[in-house]
Amino acid sequence: MNPFTGGWVILMTLLMAMTLAVFRLPDGSPEWLGWFRPSWVLLILFFWAMELPHRIGLIAAWFMGLLMDGLQGEPLGLNGFLLASFTYVTWRFFERLRMYSVLQQCGVVLVLILLAQLVRAGTLYLASNQPFGFAMFGTVLSSTLLWPFIYLLLMRIRTSVRIE
Amino acid sequence: MLLLAIESSTGLVQPVREQVEGVASPVYFLAESPYLLAGQARSVFSIQSQLRERNLTLQRHILELTHISQQFVALKAENDRLRQLLGSQGRLPYEVLIAEVVGIVPNTGSFQVIVDKGADAGIQTGQPVLDASGLFGQVITVAPFSSRVLLLTDHNHAVPVQVNRNGVRSIAGGTGLRDRLELENVPVSADILEGDLLETSGLGGRFPTGYPVGVVVSVLVEPTSAYAQVVVKPSAELDRSRHVLVIFEPQVVAP
Repeated sequence: MNPFTGGWVILMTLLMAMTLAVFRLPDGSPEWLGWFRPSWVLLILFFWAMELPHRIGLIAAWFMGLLMDGLQGEPLGLNGFLLASFTYVTWRFFERLRMYSVLQQCGVVLVLILLAQLVRAGTLYLASNQPFGFAMFGTVLSSTLLWPFIYLLLMRIRTSVRIE
Repeated sequence: MLLLAIESSTGLVQPVREQVEGVASPVYFLAESPYLLAGQARSVFSIQSQLRERNLTLQRHILELTHISQQFVALKAENDRLRQLLGSQGRLPYEVLIAEVVGIVPNTGSFQVIVDKGADAGIQTGQPVLDASGLFGQVITVAPFSSRVLLLTDHNHAVPVQVNRNGVRSIAGGTGLRDRLELENVPVSADILEGDLLETSGLGGRFPTGYPVGVVVSVLVEPTSAYAQVVVKPSAELDRSRHVLVIFEPQVVAP
C-alpha cells in the first residue's frame, strides 16, 4: 500500500477548513452570528489525528498553525502551539477516542476546544491586550454541536477514498 | 513553540510574519470568491431601468462634486498664496492608490481587513487608508500581493485629531466596538460639543492633515472624573466599504 495515498484529501479538507475559518459573513448579517464561528481547523485536524495518527505529524500541525497565525493576524506561534498540543493529546488517546460514541466524542471536543479557547484568549490578552469576550464560548458551543456532522462527513469521505 | 509567541511581541519577527502572510493570503481570495462571483452575476443580470436610475444618481453626484472641487481649486490657490506670504511651506498633494477589500478578519476581538494591493504596488507599513467618507485605518503588515489594514475602531488603534470648528486637539482611540471611538484624556473644560466634526490633525506624522475622522455623538461630564467622556462615531463606512484609498506620502521635488 502506498503510504501517501489520499494525502491530497487530507490537505483539501484542511484547506477547506482554513477557508471556512476566514470566510466573511455576508453584509448585513447580525454581529452575534460571528461569535458562533466554529474552529473548523481544530475540528478537522482532530478527526484526522484520531483516525490516522500516523499521517498527521506534530511539525505539520505546527506549520498549519503558523499559516493560521498569518491568516488571522495573531501572534506567530499561538495557533501552532494550539494545533500541535491538540494533535498530541489526540495521539495519546486515539485508541480510546475511536471507541467512544459520537456523543462522548462531543464531550471530548467540548473540553479540548474550551481549553484551546482559554489559552488563546489568555495569550491574546497578554500579547495584544485584547479583552476577554464571551465570544469564545460561542465558538466552543458551535464546534461541539458541529462535531457529529463533521465526523460523519469525513468518515464517509475517508471510507470512500480509502485513506489508510 | 511558545518562544515565537513571546518573540512576536517584540517585533523581531515582522519579516517572518510577512512571508507567512504571503503564503496564507490566497486563502482570503478563495474565501472571498463566492462574493466576487455573486457581484459579477449581479452586474451581468441587472435590469436596465435600475442601471439607468443608478447612472442618473451618479451623474448628479459627479456634478455636485465638480462644483465643490472647482471651489476647492480656488481655495487651495488662495491658501497656498497666503502660506507663501506667511513664509511657511505649501502643502503637497497626496498620491492615492485604490485598493479593494478582499477579506475581513473574522476575529470578534479585533478589526482588520485584507486589501488586494501589497508590496508589488509599493505599499509600506504604516500608510494611512481612507474610504469615500473618512479615515479608515492604517496598513500594519504588507505581503507580496496583499496587505493588512487595522481599522481605526480597533482597540489598539489611536489617531491624533482636532475639532474642525475650533482646532481643539485630542487623540481618538478605538474601543473595540464597531461604531464607536473615544477621545482620550479630554479635560472637562475643553470646547467640544455634540455634532462637532473631528479631522486628522497631522500631528505624529503618520496621518495627513484634514481628513474627517468622525462626528461627536455625546459628551459626558461626570462630576467625579477629571476627564470628559467623548464618544465619536467614525465617518468612514467601516463595515461597508469595498474600495479604499491608500495614501502615499508626497515626493518632495527640489525646486
